[in-house]
Amino acid sequence: MANGWSVFVGLFVIVAMCAAAWFLSPKGENQVLWRSSLILSFVSCYLMWAITFLAQLNPLIEPRRSDLRKEFIHH
Amino acid sequence: MAPARDTPFRSADMSMVQLYISNEIGREVVNALGELGLVQFRDLNGDLSAFQRAFTQDIRRLDNVERQLRYFHSQMEKSGIPLRKLDLDVDTLAPPTTTEIDELADRSQSLELRVSSLNESYETLKKREVELTEWRWVLREAGGFFDRAHSNVDEIRASSDNDDAPLLQDVEQHTTAPEVERSFSGMNIGFVAGVIARDRVAAFERILWRTLRGNLYMNQSEIPEPLVDPTNNEPVQKNVFVIFAHGKGILAKIRKISESMGAEVYNVDENSDLRRDQVHEVNARLNDVQNVLRNTQATLEAELTQISQSLAAWMVLINKEKAVYNTLNLFSYDRARRTLIAEGWCPTHDLPLIRSTLQDVTNRAGLSVPSIINVIHTNKTPPTYLKTNKFTEAFQTIVNAYGTATYQEVNPAIPVIVTFPFLFAVMFGDFGHACIMLSAALAMIYWEKPLKKVSFELFAMIYYGRYIALVMAVFSVYTGLIYNDVFSKSMTLFKSQWEWQVPADYHPGQTVVGKLNDQGYRYPFGLDWRWHGTENDLLFSNSYKMKMSIILGWAHMTYSLCFSYINARHFKRNVDIWGNFVPGMIFFQAIFGYLVVCIIYKWTQDWKTSQPPGLLNMLIYMFLQPGTLDVQLYPGQQYVQVALLLLAFVQVPILLFLKPFWLRWEHNRARAQGYRGIGERSRVSALDGDDEDESAGGNGHAVDGSRPSEDEGVPMITQALDDGDDEGSGEHGHGEEFEFGEVMIHQVIHTIEFCLNCVSHTASYLRLWALSLAHQQLSAVLWSMTLAPALKMTGISGAIFLVVMFYVFFVLSCIILIIMEGVSAMLHSLRLAWVESFSKFAEFGGWPFAPFSFGTVLEESEELKEYMG
Repeated sequence: MANGWSVFVGLFVIVAMCAAAWFLSPKGENQVLWRSSLILSFVSCYLMWAITFLAQLNPLIEPRRSDLRKEFIHH
Repeated sequence: MAPARDTPFRSADMSMVQLYISNEIGREVVNALGELGLVQFRDLNGDLSAFQRAFTQDIRRLDNVERQLRYFHSQMEKSGIPLRKLDLDVDTLAPPTTTEIDELADRSQSLELRVSSLNESYETLKKREVELTEWRWVLREAGGFFDRAHSNVDEIRASSDNDDAPLLQDVEQHTTAPEVERSFSGMNIGFVAGVIARDRVAAFERILWRTLRGNLYMNQSEIPEPLVDPTNNEPVQKNVFVIFAHGKGILAKIRKISESMGAEVYNVDENSDLRRDQVHEVNARLNDVQNVLRNTQATLEAELTQISQSLAAWMVLINKEKAVYNTLNLFSYDRARRTLIAEGWCPTHDLPLIRSTLQDVTNRAGLSVPSIINVIHTNKTPPTYLKTNKFTEAFQTIVNAYGTATYQEVNPAIPVIVTFPFLFAVMFGDFGHACIMLSAALAMIYWEKPLKKVSFELFAMIYYGRYIALVMAVFSVYTGLIYNDVFSKSMTLFKSQWEWQVPADYHPGQTVVGKLNDQGYRYPFGLDWRWHGTENDLLFSNSYKMKMSIILGWAHMTYSLCFSYINARHFKRNVDIWGNFVPGMIFFQAIFGYLVVCIIYKWTQDWKTSQPPGLLNMLIYMFLQPGTLDVQLYPGQQYVQVALLLLAFVQVPILLFLKPFWLRWEHNRARAQGYRGIGERSRVSALDGDDEDESAGGNGHAVDGSRPSEDEGVPMITQALDDGDDEGSGEHGHGEEFEFGEVMIHQVIHTIEFCLNCVSHTASYLRLWALSLAHQQLSAVLWSMTLAPALKMTGISGAIFLVVMFYVFFVLSCIILIIMEGVSAMLHSLRLAWVESFSKFAEFGGWPFAPFSFGTVLEESEELKEYMG
């Protein structure tokens, strides 16, 4: 499912959304507002998601805990 | 090329216009333009004091009417009559004609007379009433004294120490008890009766005692109910006193002392029959007075109630009218041709609208003389006019709080609409808190109309920023999902990428370690929930959030820097592109762009077999020991780093010298070709070129005065405006003196600032990490202190405890984690916008466009607030 290539899949999706935002923004004097806000939001959100995803791609440390209950473990 | 229409991207195109209006319709024209709210008039009478201006008389008259209206309002408040408030969204007021204003003035004049005469008579009657009441008390109380006094005349006699009195008479009086009534006069004892304020009684007594050397017999009693002082409507506690003494001289002295002490002396008859008559009479008169009082009060209230219906509307009308005349005072008046000449700024794209408005007014007035509107070409810097709508208004306000953008530079509010709430959300990321905030923002937007009327200041502020709150909340929902935090708990939305390696003989308390799955599956959205509650959770999330802060900061600053390119291209300043933008960008990317690339590269590599390099050390050693490496990130790294370092350092001299030397070369070339600057300062074609204006000497002078010329005393008001203008044109103004030293110093400062800021601003973005860490830890602490122990309890008491603790948890969540943490995150985000982002591209050298508009006049007036609904 989700592996290293997902970053590029996500990028493609975001580019498509940005293109849609560019062309589908309502015309008028606020068009520039729609375009800039939507594209900037998409890019920011993608950036955040991609950073989080990449940070977990090749983790240097593993989660470790010693307060697990027995019932929880066997799932 | 100017765009086809004004967009929020940059401030609107402005034109300086000149209006020639016939004097008769001046008021109507200004009225219409005030409704339109698109023209900012310049003061053409800068050298005239406020009293010398043409319409000061009218303003005085209106001030008087306003005073009268305020008087009505205070009277209404005094008698507790509610004011019918004016809701400008619902009621529209037609622009009044001059006669209507005159009528209003007359009417308020006569109403004032009426109200004040009613008030006066009310006060006189009230005073009368108090006097009569006091008299009645004196009669009642004094009667008691007399009855008591008669039974012990001896004591009085003894105390009055009358040695001359025949001893026999004493005996006689005892025997003739029924004749006692007449005995006072027989004893030559007179008395003074009256009323005095209770707090003065002691002083009164002392003075009397000293002046009369004890030759008196004083009797007093308290009036149980407080009497109202008619002068200030305050209740006063008073005493009735009766003083017996003998001798006309002494009595006259007592009277005088009483009057000087503020006591009221009343006439009381010694004879009880007469006294009874007096009481009857006083009662009858009191009744009459009270009747009349009631009637007066009712009339006054009826009058005021009627006024209260339209007072707010009148107030608004008068204020508008005053604003109109104040504006007319800015115009210069050509007496010979009975023409008003106005000058001002207006948006170029709205010129047709202004023109047709003028045309309308002229036509309606039926004047044959047309109103003329001329566009003047000027090299003054126009004001910055950034159009806003309901959504962008609050964002624009937080940008304007920092400064006014230079005319036509990229509106800094455009990126702020997204970057400000997004950076807020990075610090505020918690799905639960964000949802509460989102519902609050949505509620404020859904009940937009009714909530607009709330005048509680703190709420009004939040309400004003409701769209900011909405965007902030939406982004916070997203970042909350990314951080996988709901009130510090996590959501198991997807399958985890970790599996616990459980030994076969597991016993509770044993440490288990997660193991990555073998399929290469990674948690698809946000942070893996397996990290939640682990021992090394912070170790991981700190490294992740710190790197994210750097990357987001780099993206934000690069994005902001790009606007400086757009600005330079718009103003056609190629030297700014090659001397500032390009070297600056290369410098920044060579150091911090490289760092970001390294961070991402490090994430993509598998470090199971080799030792991972520390990126922070890498960056430090890149400067300290170029060419050597601590731990290698990728092959050939040292050469790349040396090359980048050299590239960055080469940019510094370019940043320093290219622009000043280019400007000097350009200047010298122009000089060599024989061009000279025309004068030092800007000159506008205003009225100077008009031959017809020669007749109006004062007029021409007025125009001269509004220019900033050093050798002339320039009035302060116009100077302030013109200073703003000159600043705006800055170093890039046309035809102004070129000073190489100044340009060089400016550029040196800019270079040093830019290079240092690249470092300090990048570090400044680490606040994103710090605040999101603080928020997450605080909510974890709150959970562990409130709900966690409550959830462990069982039984009835456990249920009760849980309910109580839930409320504690919820209230504290709202107050501390949403409001307090939200405000703190907002301030940090605001700083990132103002300092880290704006310093990269915005000049903030503009001056704001403040058009004459009734809307703003009415909104900004503090006084009118109480009249508006």
